[in-house]
Amino acid sequence: MENTEIKLEAVHKSYYLANGEEIPVLKGIDLEIKKGEFVAIMGESGGGKTTLLNIIGCLHPLSEGKYFLEGENIGEVRDDFTLAFIRNKKMGFIFQQFNLFSRLTALKNIALPAIYAGIDKDEREARAMALLKSVGMEDRAHHKPTELSGGQQQRVAIARALINDPEIILADEPTGALDSKSGLAIMDIFSGFKKENKTVAMVTHTAEVAKYADRIIYLRDGKVIDNDYKLTSAY
Amino acid sequence: MAFEALLGNKLRAALSMLGIIIGVTTVIAVFAVGQGAQNAVNAQFQNLSANSIIIMGMFGRGATQSSKLTTADARAIMEKAEHVKSAAGSIMGNLSASYGSESGSYSVIGADANYFSISNLKLGSGRFFEEADVDSKAMAAVIGSDVVAALFPDGGNPVGSTITVGGKRLEVIGTIEEVGSNIGRMSPDEAIIVPDTTAQKSLLGDRGQVMINAQSDTVDNITIATEEITAILRAEHKLKVGAEDDFRIMDAGSMIGAAQSAATLMTVLLTAIAAITLLVSGIGIMNVMFVTVAERTKEIGIAKAIGGKRADILGQFLLESVAMSMIGGLIGIILGHGIIYLVNQVESLSSIITLAPSVLGVSIGFGFSVLVGVTFGFYPALKASRLDPVDALRSE
Repeated sequence: MENTEIKLEAVHKSYYLANGEEIPVLKGIDLEIKKGEFVAIMGESGGGKTTLLNIIGCLHPLSEGKYFLEGENIGEVRDDFTLAFIRNKKMGFIFQQFNLFSRLTALKNIALPAIYAGIDKDEREARAMALLKSVGMEDRAHHKPTELSGGQQQRVAIARALINDPEIILADEPTGALDSKSGLAIMDIFSGFKKENKTVAMVTHTAEVAKYADRIIYLRDGKVIDNDYKLTSAY
Repeated sequence: MAFEALLGNKLRAALSMLGIIIGVTTVIAVFAVGQGAQNAVNAQFQNLSANSIIIMGMFGRGATQSSKLTTADARAIMEKAEHVKSAAGSIMGNLSASYGSESGSYSVIGADANYFSISNLKLGSGRFFEEADVDSKAMAAVIGSDVVAALFPDGGNPVGSTITVGGKRLEVIGTIEEVGSNIGRMSPDEAIIVPDTTAQKSLLGDRGQVMINAQSDTVDNITIATEEITAILRAEHKLKVGAEDDFRIMDAGSMIGAAQSAATLMTVLLTAIAAITLLVSGIGIMNVMFVTVAERTKEIGIAKAIGGKRADILGQFLLESVAMSMIGGLIGIILGHGIIYLVNQVESLSSIITLAPSVLGVSIGFGFSVLVGVTFGFYPALKASRLDPVDALRSE
């Protein structure tokens, strides 16, 4: 099991409406993602893909079950300090809507997680600049998100996810808000994670995007129905 | 970081600060008015000692009979009252005075020789008149500093000069040092003081308004002295039992008390205005802060998702709120003092009241506004930081 980065056992997650009614979203998820593996999570709308990714990303507590991160059960951790540390150092989260700070320049956006990690200014700005270069955006360092295209914003968001050199990259429909050309450019960057031995979990509903992954996990109605889903020959 | 975020959203910062600025400015201005009123009251009475009793004839509205109060009554009080240390009559009226080509209208006060010491007046040059001058109805005058400046603009020593007052020629025998404040409604600086006998006989006659300044022997005896004086004057004026006094008698304590209670009332009123102002500006600050809650909540969601600890995030928002409130507060302090300065430049206003900035006004205005700004800037952030990052991210 040494090789396992992420392991979920019988994970349940429910939401509660204002009237107390329980809405179960995840109904017993079992999955395992190896170190350096690139996994796509597919499934129907409302099947729980995003909820699953948020649980892996420690953005949501799970209702029931176990979550092993590098062999350690963190499913019951609620302590803000520990969770923030995991989100900051272990993981980089990439959103469909980029979620950049509109008031900060590209460079400052990328450097922000490094501030939370306590890295000094020169060091974090040097790192941010190097990452901007690696995503081909060094000439846009001092632009604000509103001055950038969607594809450029997503590249800034990817650079931000990488600033603390996390082992895990979590992406929720990273190309969902982009045209297909920009989307392909983003997926090129994702392909590069492999050789840096980063573990990637990416939610998508597009087969064209999912085909970049080593393996596809398919969800339906809050359960994993296929741990190694094969795309049809159409792609 | 906090300052970058702050500078990045100029409109929001400006609107929030506006509430704080208005709050601080208004409170400072309002308290300056209160302090100014208090100062005016204090200045008016600084020449009055606590055992002073003032007796005036009935005149103006409410006077049912012509006043019989004369400067001779002062002598009667002096002789008969047991608890009166001194009593000096004075007669007052307005007359034109001239010297050479300079002239003006001044208060003429007919007084006896005690008047100068009772009124705490200090000699500038020459001498005050004495009992002998009063007895001889001497045509002699002691003049105030404004009168000196107006009639003797060349700066020469007026003592020994002869001025014309109400058509009569008087010799200036002394001048009074500048006082700066009023005694009752009259400023000694603008007065020409002559022996009361001279005033009654040659200058004012029946047109003069008689006032007696008396002092009780001790402050504790002021009530007894007042009663004695009342009885003596009623006897002198041969008033029947049940008839109303034909004079008014006031002691310093009740005069100061009345003026101070008026000033206190004003302070209470102004404090109420200040409280309302703070409430209104507080609501303004609150509104702006709450309007931005959704925006902030989303930002907090992002910050948490990329690894911000609650402490990091709250620290940033706290710093931002404090910085914004402090800057707004400081602008308010500067503006408030600017208003005080400007109002004091307006001559027609400064003759009525001189606004004085008070430490209390600055502290209350600044303290409260900054507290409201910080509280309502920080509280939504505190709430948002307790949400799951995902829930915070969803708010738009």
